[in-house]
Amino acid sequence: MIRIDSLVYRYPTGVTALDGVSLRVEPGERVALIGRNGAGKTTLARHLNGILRPTAGSVHVDGWDTAEHTVAELAAKVGYLFQNPDEQLFARTVAEEVAFGPRNLGYPGDRRARLVRRALEDTRLTGLEEVHPYQLSLAERKRVALAAVLAMDTPILVLDEPTTGADHAGVRDVAAAVSELAGRGRTVLAVTHDMDFCAENFDRIVVLAGGRIVRDGSPDEVFRAGADLAQAGVEPPQLMRLSEALGWSRPATTVDAFVDRLASR
Amino acid sequence: MTVGFYQHRESSVHRLNPLTKLTLAVAVVIAAFAVPLTWWPAALFLVVLVPAVLAARVPARFAALTVKFVGPLLVAVFLVQGLFFPGEGAELARLGPISVKAEGLAFAAQTATRLLVLIGAFLFLLLTTHPGVLMNAMVQRGLPPNISYVVSATLQIVPAFRERAQHILRAQQARGMATGGGLRRRIGVLLPLIGPLALGALTEVEERAVAMEARAFGATGRRTSLMPVPDTTAQRLARWGLAAFAAATIVANALGVFA
Amino acid sequence: MIELDDFSYAYPTGSRPALRSLRLAVPAGQLCGVVGPSGAGKSTFAHALAGFIPHALGGETAGRVVVGGRTVADTPLPDLVRDVGLVLQNPFNQISGVKFTVREELAFGLENLGVPQEEMVRRVDAVLAELRIEGLADRSPYQLSGGQQQLVALGSVLVMRPSVLVLDEPTSQLDPVGSGQVFDAVRALHRAGVTIVLVEHKLERLAEIADRVLVLRHGEVALDGPPATVLADPRLADWGVAGTRYTAAARLARERGLWPEDRDLPVTLDAAVAGFRAVTGGVESR
Repeated sequence: MIRIDSLVYRYPTGVTALDGVSLRVEPGERVALIGRNGAGKTTLARHLNGILRPTAGSVHVDGWDTAEHTVAELAAKVGYLFQNPDEQLFARTVAEEVAFGPRNLGYPGDRRARLVRRALEDTRLTGLEEVHPYQLSLAERKRVALAAVLAMDTPILVLDEPTTGADHAGVRDVAAAVSELAGRGRTVLAVTHDMDFCAENFDRIVVLAGGRIVRDGSPDEVFRAGADLAQAGVEPPQLMRLSEALGWSRPATTVDAFVDRLASR
Repeated sequence: MTVGFYQHRESSVHRLNPLTKLTLAVAVVIAAFAVPLTWWPAALFLVVLVPAVLAARVPARFAALTVKFVGPLLVAVFLVQGLFFPGEGAELARLGPISVKAEGLAFAAQTATRLLVLIGAFLFLLLTTHPGVLMNAMVQRGLPPNISYVVSATLQIVPAFRERAQHILRAQQARGMATGGGLRRRIGVLLPLIGPLALGALTEVEERAVAMEARAFGATGRRTSLMPVPDTTAQRLARWGLAAFAAATIVANALGVFA
Repeated sequence: MIELDDFSYAYPTGSRPALRSLRLAVPAGQLCGVVGPSGAGKSTFAHALAGFIPHALGGETAGRVVVGGRTVADTPLPDLVRDVGLVLQNPFNQISGVKFTVREELAFGLENLGVPQEEMVRRVDAVLAELRIEGLADRSPYQLSGGQQQLVALGSVLVMRPSVLVLDEPTSQLDPVGSGQVFDAVRALHRAGVTIVLVEHKLERLAEIADRVLVLRHGEVALDGPPATVLADPRLADWGVAGTRYTAAARLARERGLWPEDRDLPVTLDAAVAGFRAVTGGVESR
């Protein structure tokens, strides 16, 4: 679904942001990209829809080589949720905003209507269709931006910091959308700093540091303490820290797993 | 980070009070336009600006920018004034309806060198003067802080604004918006770009206003400066001298000295 | 230090009051956390303490806000900044844009107040040292990371030596490294005796440093007390506030009979470690 081979990216300033990254992600996988600011997470994510082009190596999404397509063409394969909703919302109503992507992609009217309705339901925006997005709070605008990407119904979804600036309810919406999409065989890749969100909603965590992948595995494997993890600027999820402080040999990363281990003691 | 055109160097010109350099730039420009002698602007450029730029150790950047800004103007001036000069006079060459006259060329040369002085003088100022220091000096001389704010903030915020426009363009392309194509499509593309840019700027302005007020920007008393801009008696005298020189060229021209 | 006396407020465009009959006092030196769902009035509360309500934003107020003995509504904003410092969410929008180095950026407020130059240099140096950002002094504020920019925003109000510091979600736009820097600075200021009101949604961090936590809901104080009590309250989730995972784990453990009914639920890592050690008798899990 996503195939990245020996990807190198150098900014025009000469700074190497990605230094030989190879990654394969299968349909239905939920992958979180983590690491400190400047580690290359967003740079990597922006290669998936062609906003950035490889300096060396290649990126394929759903069989397409991103170097051979425009960003607008790649939008049919990859939905991309940007961190700041205010850099994309423009329409007079929430419904128009959400319909913008599907319209650009040339979906027929009935499919478009169905997708918009469903995206609004999934983000609990039903009833706000005719409201101007700028009358909403930042957390709500964040949900409109998410709905706008969901409505594009792409095989791959990239979410850049989906929980930053979102409230509790917004985080739950993102979490629900992620698991629902993966359940339908869609590939979800998120860039995030929220480790608890990561541990609870993703089955694979990829840690980037200095433009390279330094860890790749399940949350339980990846979040185990270690020098490279600290160096990558990653603070483990709360329950990982708790189970390690308790000296458990098999730490847990989520509430359910933690209590299950506690019960099986 | 590069701020405007400023080039940092250790030079006596850089250490001058910005007002002295500003006065020099303005005086030279006035003189260049006031005196109608053909050779005069070129002389000012060679005798005043070139040595000043050399002393400031920014000749390469100065030359590059001068060529970049003056070059196209030069071509335009010579084409228009040199080839289509309306007056009578000796014809040097002729190509169909177009005639090249000596007077036309002379007039073109004068206009071109005046532009050269105009652009050169302000490039000299901007290359050797940090805009922050210039604004500091102006505020210390009584420029209202609001005006200084608009000028300085524009210098720093415009690049950020441009970057945001890029982000918005990408965000809309990532939603399948194609940007190429015919005029109609290009116009259709405008709203999704300008909408977020304008609304984002509004939110930002509101927040920035609060942040500024939280730093007592609205205070009405006397302001002080962390880095008072140094000034000397010699420079003060030099500024009066430059002002007098500029005034003299205007008066001399009005009295018909160069006629 | 801070007193709200039956204070209510409605925005000029708002149909409903954003703050309703707030009655509370924050004593000098206290670090008071403020949490609540979006739209609860947290940001409005912060702006009211710093005088932007009513001075800059207009609207209808009733009752009084008193900070350091001065009634906010009767004190002009430029005078209030010496009493209350306000730090906002977005570090980028707090940079003045008129200063080209961090040192000058920090001095901006003092210049506006007409503080003499030698005094200004002393205060700027002191704040650079206090926040441990001496190394950034000559950099452009635009070249900094978000966390560093937020420290500069904090420093540029600290130079005015306010007795009260109000921070409105200062880490919401920052990565964990940047958030850590800001929290370390807040902790140090708290130790130095500054009265702090911190609006924050990273509850596991807030739980570790706050003396007290207010929960705002629909513009009213829904809960008020020590973090260990307030942040473990079972109603938080219904109100749209996510508690810490430590609390959630202990609560689930209690539902499954693994945590005694009479034991308080933990809100910090330390309390959780102590609690679960006691519960498991220190036995290693298999």
